[in-house]
Amino acid sequence: MTSRRRYHHLIILLALALLFTIAPTGAVTQAQDKAQVSMWFNSTGGAEGANCIIEQAIDTFNEQSDDVEVTATLQANSWDATRTALAGGGGPDIVTTPGPSFAFELAQSGQLLALDDFAAEYGWTENFTPWALQLGVVDDQLYSIPSEVETLVLYYNKTLFEEHGWEAPQTLDELMALAEEIDAAGIIPFAHSNAEWRPTNEWFVGEFLNHVAGPEKVYQALTGELEWTDPEFVSAIELLTEMQQNGWFMGGLDRYYTTQTATTFAMLAEGEAAMKIEGTWAVSDLNTYFGEEGGNANEWDWVPVPSAGGDPIFDLGIGTTYGINKNAQNPEAAAEFLSYYFSPEVQATLAVECGVVPAPVEIEPDALEGLDPRYAEIIAAMNEASEAGDYGYTTWTFWPPRSDVYIYDEIERVWAGDTTAEEYLQGLQSLFDEEVEAGDIPPIPER
Amino acid sequence: MGKPMTMEKSMSTERLHDARASWRKGAFFRKKVLPWLFVAPILLINITVVLGPALSAGYYSLTDWSGIGAANFIGLDNFRRILLEDSSYKSAFVNNLIWLGLFLTVPIAMALVGASVISPIRRGALFFRLALFVPYVLPSVIVANLWRTLLDPDRGIMGWLTDQGVPGTDIALLGRQNTVLPTIAFIDNWHWWGFLMVLFLAGMQNISRDLYEAARLDGANRWEEFRDVTIPGIRPVLVFMVLMTAIWSFLTFDYIWILTQGGPAGASEVLSVLVYKNAFQAFQAGYASAIGLTMSFFVGIIISIFIVLRRRGWEI
Repeated sequence: MTSRRRYHHLIILLALALLFTIAPTGAVTQAQDKAQVSMWFNSTGGAEGANCIIEQAIDTFNEQSDDVEVTATLQANSWDATRTALAGGGGPDIVTTPGPSFAFELAQSGQLLALDDFAAEYGWTENFTPWALQLGVVDDQLYSIPSEVETLVLYYNKTLFEEHGWEAPQTLDELMALAEEIDAAGIIPFAHSNAEWRPTNEWFVGEFLNHVAGPEKVYQALTGELEWTDPEFVSAIELLTEMQQNGWFMGGLDRYYTTQTATTFAMLAEGEAAMKIEGTWAVSDLNTYFGEEGGNANEWDWVPVPSAGGDPIFDLGIGTTYGINKNAQNPEAAAEFLSYYFSPEVQATLAVECGVVPAPVEIEPDALEGLDPRYAEIIAAMNEASEAGDYGYTTWTFWPPRSDVYIYDEIERVWAGDTTAEEYLQGLQSLFDEEVEAGDIPPIPER
Repeated sequence: MGKPMTMEKSMSTERLHDARASWRKGAFFRKKVLPWLFVAPILLINITVVLGPALSAGYYSLTDWSGIGAANFIGLDNFRRILLEDSSYKSAFVNNLIWLGLFLTVPIAMALVGASVISPIRRGALFFRLALFVPYVLPSVIVANLWRTLLDPDRGIMGWLTDQGVPGTDIALLGRQNTVLPTIAFIDNWHWWGFLMVLFLAGMQNISRDLYEAARLDGANRWEEFRDVTIPGIRPVLVFMVLMTAIWSFLTFDYIWILTQGGPAGASEVLSVLVYKNAFQAFQAGYASAIGLTMSFFVGIIISIFIVLRRRGWEI
């Protein structure tokens, strides 16, 4: 009896084991019928944004596609991980980088697949704003697609401005006069700090180069027609240094170097600071710290970063690029997904649902319904500048990598008084020349 | 009887011979092969993760490798740049020397004093040891952020002291060129000295009580006991930890990167930070390899000094 019972138990166990083995196999087989595409999302600093994109773009694509399945993996420090994996012949099928200069390096070293055939097949050349798509061209071939067009604007505490009767500035002279007045009122003029992101420095260097000397001069310098030591660039750096040394950025250089980002937003929202020059990525944080959610009754608003002549200038940048790994098993499937991902509909959904800055594709204003109206205004103004070709240049998009690191590292020596603006720009020029000679300059779209 | 006896003798001699041969084989296996088998796994790992990358770093230091793709041979150009052009390298090297000086003195002195004070304590000894050792087991990112908050001039201890009217406390120690490096060293030291103290304490407890009694009988005071009995008693541990501290000081990275990334204005930049920036931000992996090799060279000098001292008869 005992051995028979054991025999029965064994049979039941085997049957159950078989059942469990078969059940998932069916699902796996079904999934494996689809062409697999992998991609990595950065989870450093929180996975909330990445999870939203996965839910709104990847899951929806997988549901509607019969032949392609995209697998998203959250990866800490995804760019470092991607570079290392690519160098070892691996990495995800869809390669994301933190900007065109990084994609340029990957393309130059043969890690990415040329996308020209896919661009023709899916009409990317027509869908994307030309200057932005041109940033992905290396040796006349397209290697990366731009995502997240960014710009910097001057955010300010509207309630505080109304209380003091201050007007949002349009020219740099107005900005300087206003900052002096705000400082005299015992309020910090600018809620800026670089404690958590040292490259923050380059936002201001880029803004002042473009807004003092003008984008045309920056274009000339980027294309080698003009030296970075031009007197107007020197004036730009001196003006920025003057503002830093006045203690207008967070109350002093030591505070600028140590204050946490969250504190800068909180101080702006509470009225302890008045203004903030920051990118379009800051909007979700502003909405968190201002108003009911932030526990105050204050409102924020924005104007273009003031320029010497008062004309609105939007310095454009690309925050992320997408390309296809040269070792991808299913490049056609990856391209099919990219085409879906960069469709105006999906980009609009990502903007509204996840707060992602849209890619440079034409989005109908109605599709952005539900977006904060101030944010929608910034996007509209930015798109207008982008389409008119009348835009400025962000350092992380248009400068080569070594010059870019130099820009944000070495400017601190100017602010500290260890070196002068001229010496700083001379250093930039010689490094820039070296990178031009080495062919490391990202493509600069014609104006 | 005689013949069979001879045969038996000859057979037993053969067996003995065989046994000896097989024992010799066994001994050869035990002495020559077996130790290598035990060492083989870790040796393989070290060849993969230490020797391989070290050799490839040597190769890449002679190239213009960006970190991905092909590398072009450029001879000693990277080293020429280090020696003649890169002012950041020189200031980072000086910062490394300052760091080395701080870590060869402050934590070692603190650990020696701490261990001497705690050593005679019997009741509650475990509590003191644990309390002082705990910072060592905390991850650097936790310790760094803890101290960042404590030193915040608006929210931390410094802010509280300012509110109490203590003069000179309304400053951001991590944001000033003249205070940033000592401040980061202080934070790193806070986590490090407890570990040194526990090692010294273990060494001190192996010193015979008789030596202290003899010293006292000779009229030695507390300082003389410490100088003439304690220090010689823990010399091997002390010298080894000085060596390790010197090596680690040249490789320091985590606290500096987490707290300031080398700023402000390069005031806390050390060689390892330069390696990271060049390798991962500026696409200069070949140049970063060259800087890394120079770091290995300096560490090699430190190790050589210790080897020379040992050969000259120092008990280390």
